[in-house]
Amino acid sequence: MAPFPVYGRFVGDFVPHLVAVDTDDSMDIVAEKVAVHSVGRRLPRPPTAKGYDVYLDGRLIPAGTTLAELGLQPLQWLDVKFRD
Amino acid sequence: MLLNRDDWYETSRDLDWTLSYVDRDAAFPPSWTGAQGIPEDSWQSWEEPFRVSYRDYVRIQREKESGVKAVSNAMSRAGVYDKLAPGHVASSQLHMGGICMVEYMAVTMQSRFCRFAPSPKWRNLGVFGMLDETRHTQLALRFSHDLLPRDPRFDWAHKAFHTNEWAILAVKSLFDEVMLSANCVEATLATNLTLEHGFTNLQFVALAADAMAAGDINWSNLLSSIQTDEARHAQQGFPTLQVLMEHDPERAQRVVDVAFWRGTRLFQYLTGPAMDYYTPLDQRKMSFKEFMLEWIVNQHERILEDYGLKKPWYWDQYMIALENGHHAAHIGMWFWRPTLFWKPSAGVSKAEREWLNEKYPTWEENWGCMWDEIIANVNSGHLELTLPETLPALCSVTQLPIGSAMSRNELRPATSVYQGRLYHFDSEISKWCFDIEPERYAGHMTVIDRFLAGQIQPMNLAGGLEWMGLTPDVMGDDAYEYRWAAEYAGHADEEG
Repeated sequence: MAPFPVYGRFVGDFVPHLVAVDTDDSMDIVAEKVAVHSVGRRLPRPPTAKGYDVYLDGRLIPAGTTLAELGLQPLQWLDVKFRD
Repeated sequence: MLLNRDDWYETSRDLDWTLSYVDRDAAFPPSWTGAQGIPEDSWQSWEEPFRVSYRDYVRIQREKESGVKAVSNAMSRAGVYDKLAPGHVASSQLHMGGICMVEYMAVTMQSRFCRFAPSPKWRNLGVFGMLDETRHTQLALRFSHDLLPRDPRFDWAHKAFHTNEWAILAVKSLFDEVMLSANCVEATLATNLTLEHGFTNLQFVALAADAMAAGDINWSNLLSSIQTDEARHAQQGFPTLQVLMEHDPERAQRVVDVAFWRGTRLFQYLTGPAMDYYTPLDQRKMSFKEFMLEWIVNQHERILEDYGLKKPWYWDQYMIALENGHHAAHIGMWFWRPTLFWKPSAGVSKAEREWLNEKYPTWEENWGCMWDEIIANVNSGHLELTLPETLPALCSVTQLPIGSAMSRNELRPATSVYQGRLYHFDSEISKWCFDIEPERYAGHMTVIDRFLAGQIQPMNLAGGLEWMGLTPDVMGDDAYEYRWAAEYAGHADEEG
């Protein structure tokens, strides 16, 4: 368990953010931490939204995967989208 | 009998040393001149496009100074400043904080030309450039000092470059690169040729017109007076380009392409929001894009082509940036407004929005929807949702937020790994700048690098604001106290 910085972009927003996550965080938690800076601030929350997904280099990461399992570099870029 | 100027001019401007104690490279090191690979006699053909003697220079500058001072005194007596629109005042505060000390940095660059430029004619001309830039610094300082009793934000004309305010760090980073740490040849191509001949028209012609329309005759007059000097000493770049095109055209193209992109990025912040959002609607003369198209795309680029330069390789991306980048810069600066030393005008009332959509056909799709969410939060009393809780990702070349070069539709990672470290960029263009000279940029710490290195304590937004030197009396907030959002308040009900 250790704090870890990533660049999180909520797809549809115009800017990625510095987001402090934890190596033990699951992708669901990472997604929430990224979304809070965009959704409801510059992006509307769709009424039927069912949560979020995290993508790394265009690849969907399973929700239960922890950040540590991905072996990222500090400030790695992660994309977050509304779950289909 | 006194000689006429033409009788002595050629001798006076071309006075060179005949070195006998040291060789030429010791007196004029190529790392300072930038003349490596260029035969020494090539500089004989370096000709300034205008002729000026010291006597003429002093006479003309004295007249200019008297003119500026007379207008300044008259406007001060008439109390003009108190009648200006808050949005316009934001433009002048952004200009003073962002530009004043750049003028002073330019004094150092010109003084380096005086000593190390590879042509004696250029060294002679550097003296006038140095005096010009000293005058510009003093004009901006005097203007700001006079307005200090009205607003402490004018203190930032002097103070800004002694703080860690993020936008100022980006400005400093660019001018440290192109003025203070570049050799003479590259400094003049980047600064005189590209930034001054091209982009200062935005700041000193376009903004001067807007300032005049806004009734700020004092600032408009100051900008116009500065531009008369810029237009003259910017010419130093052309004869240098001509020499370099004969001997190293590849280098000329590279230096100009890097400077052109970095200048574009800077003025997306310095001028774009001021022209398209801060200037009151009925006082706008041209949109930022229209001005860029006329002065940069049509005029400046055409002149460069006359010298044999090609359009930058990234021209298609540049046109997308022209349509979008300053809108991104604006919404970002407004959202992160506590990190500014001026009060930005949102500039998105219904009438302003109509103007934006007319000038930028993709504005509504790219930017309007995000402003709608902000407006809804303002009108529902959730101002906390219109304020940041973290920092935006930053580019390791421009030091500006990633995502602010173009629109969200073009936003994707642009990265390089150098010596084991991952670097992010705001575009493929900035990545190219880094990749051709990684050693130049790799050591520069962005605000986020400094944050992660523990230089900012406590590690939160409050700690960041303190580190940036932003005190409550100058910290940015909406210029119109959110009144512009009220006309949208019934919108949702009507639609519902």
